[in-house]
Amino acid sequence: MRYNANTPEGTRDRLFAQCRERRRVQKALTQRFRQRGYAEIITPEVEFYDLFLQSGSPMPQEAMMKVIDRSGRICVMRPDCTTPIARVAATKLRDMGFPQRLYYDQTIFRSDPADLGGSSEIAQCGVELIGAGGVRADAEVVALAVDALRDCGLRDFHIELGHVGFFRSLARALGLDPEREEEMRQFIESKNFPALDQLLQPYAGQPAWAALRRLSRLFGDVSVLDEACRLSGGNGALDYLRAVYQELASAGYGEYLRFDLGLVQRIDYYTGLIFRGYAEGYGAAVLSGGRYDNLVGCFGRPALATGFAVDVDGVSGCLPPEEPAPPDTLIHYAPGCLAAALAAMDRREAGRCQLSPFETEEESRALARQRGMSRLLLIGEDGEREVVL
Amino acid sequence: MRERLRIALTKGRLQDRSVELFEGMGLDCTPIREPGRRLIHQIPNYPLDAVLAKAPDVITYVEHGACDLGIVGKDTILEHGHAFYEVLDLGFGACRFALAVKEGFDFYGGYQTRRVASKYPGVTRAFFEKKGMDVSVIKIEGSVELAPLLDLADGIVDIVETGATLKANGLVPIETVAQVSARLIVNTASMKLYKEQITDFMEKCQRELERGL
Repeated sequence: MRYNANTPEGTRDRLFAQCRERRRVQKALTQRFRQRGYAEIITPEVEFYDLFLQSGSPMPQEAMMKVIDRSGRICVMRPDCTTPIARVAATKLRDMGFPQRLYYDQTIFRSDPADLGGSSEIAQCGVELIGAGGVRADAEVVALAVDALRDCGLRDFHIELGHVGFFRSLARALGLDPEREEEMRQFIESKNFPALDQLLQPYAGQPAWAALRRLSRLFGDVSVLDEACRLSGGNGALDYLRAVYQELASAGYGEYLRFDLGLVQRIDYYTGLIFRGYAEGYGAAVLSGGRYDNLVGCFGRPALATGFAVDVDGVSGCLPPEEPAPPDTLIHYAPGCLAAALAAMDRREAGRCQLSPFETEEESRALARQRGMSRLLLIGEDGEREVVL
Repeated sequence: MRERLRIALTKGRLQDRSVELFEGMGLDCTPIREPGRRLIHQIPNYPLDAVLAKAPDVITYVEHGACDLGIVGKDTILEHGHAFYEVLDLGFGACRFALAVKEGFDFYGGYQTRRVASKYPGVTRAFFEKKGMDVSVIKIEGSVELAPLLDLADGIVDIVETGATLKANGLVPIETVAQVSARLIVNTASMKLYKEQITDFMEKCQRELERGL
């Protein structure tokens, strides 16, 4: 392999349309975030490895890209944006009152196993609402998620809500030991119905059993809350979800909302409402987020917090490609006429004309023809003249 | 909204059983039975298109959302699986992963690090990691039974159906690593976006499986 000609695994050069599409999505998202009162922060691309260990969400160490600094300390390329922001909120922003509304437009780095076709550089835009809890804060963030995706131009998408408290209270009712509970969580997360049934067999007949057995099927529209209520005999997490739903539905967001009570991923990290966004055209979630009330406290300043991140390239992949018109006019200018040539260029639509680097008109004509441009704009002491080729 | 679901079927033995299952569900599988040169087979009386692929590719297609559904063995899922829903145990293709050694060999005795040959290095490593035991895993592509006979390895982890091949070579299974059978898997986003269509398909499968029991 020629290391001077190829890019490392999981990385790629992004050209023209890919850049335009990514920028378009980033612009739409960040504009909406600012509109809703969120302020941008940029954190380092490289952080200490330890930062991501103590955050209560141990990311597998093989998923992080390591860098050794000058003093021999282990650093990682930022694998997640939320943890560094929690660090900032608890330390640099110590004297700033709550709530804090922060947003970011950054790249995260993940080291995936080879040959999966994934990218190890993921462009993310997201928000964190730190120092606020309850239905109002959660509804604000979910509404922002809907509006942000809509601003990007997505039409067929929905946001799916879940609550880690539902699973937790059911698991506690069964009195499972932590190992079995984790096993069950994995089966529910992967909607592994047969394995889940088998695991729950010994508990048949207990009140929580019926609900847990159905948990991985409890997804869909708001009627799943009724079904879950019937199965479990009611539960604080369900009441909370319903309250958030009612708040959002009354604000006109109901059509975008779905539920999945089997959303139980990273359950040690999330503490309440969790949500994911799915869009037609992308095989994974384009948005994911939730409440993480324990993270900021790891840095010495306990605070309720919620937020979400959007996978920028995931969203742009769902949008129809936009092909801007190619340059159509070549400008050939006489010596001493650079100012006039630049002025002529700036009057025209961006990207539609280019300056000729040649001194003779013949060479400029040849270049324009070769590039398939239809016009040559000649600029001299005596003014400008357009030639149709 | 996509009108037809796409399913990836594992070529070979699981393919025949999958087609039998579909036909039991009332799906017209003539396009799969008589493929000609086509690679995508449209079921005429149900909104489903089928493609045939090697087992690990079935997982790749489903994980990337190139196919909404897949039928693949649990052995492949254990070795290559990452992120998808595993919704039904289809029951067919049943066998087990087992650790086998030369007859009379004390695999767990002594203090030497054992060498284990397998076509499934991931499964093998995970099995021994769970036991807190260090082993060296050797990836073998072909007849794994050969490795202990040539003293390349102390044991093998492999799929055992009847045990006849092991027996013929003087090997005995000493421990079950996992039970294996064909599974229906679903892409995570498809499950949410095409819930009605996928639920309908799953229910048809389930009814047919229950009828077959």
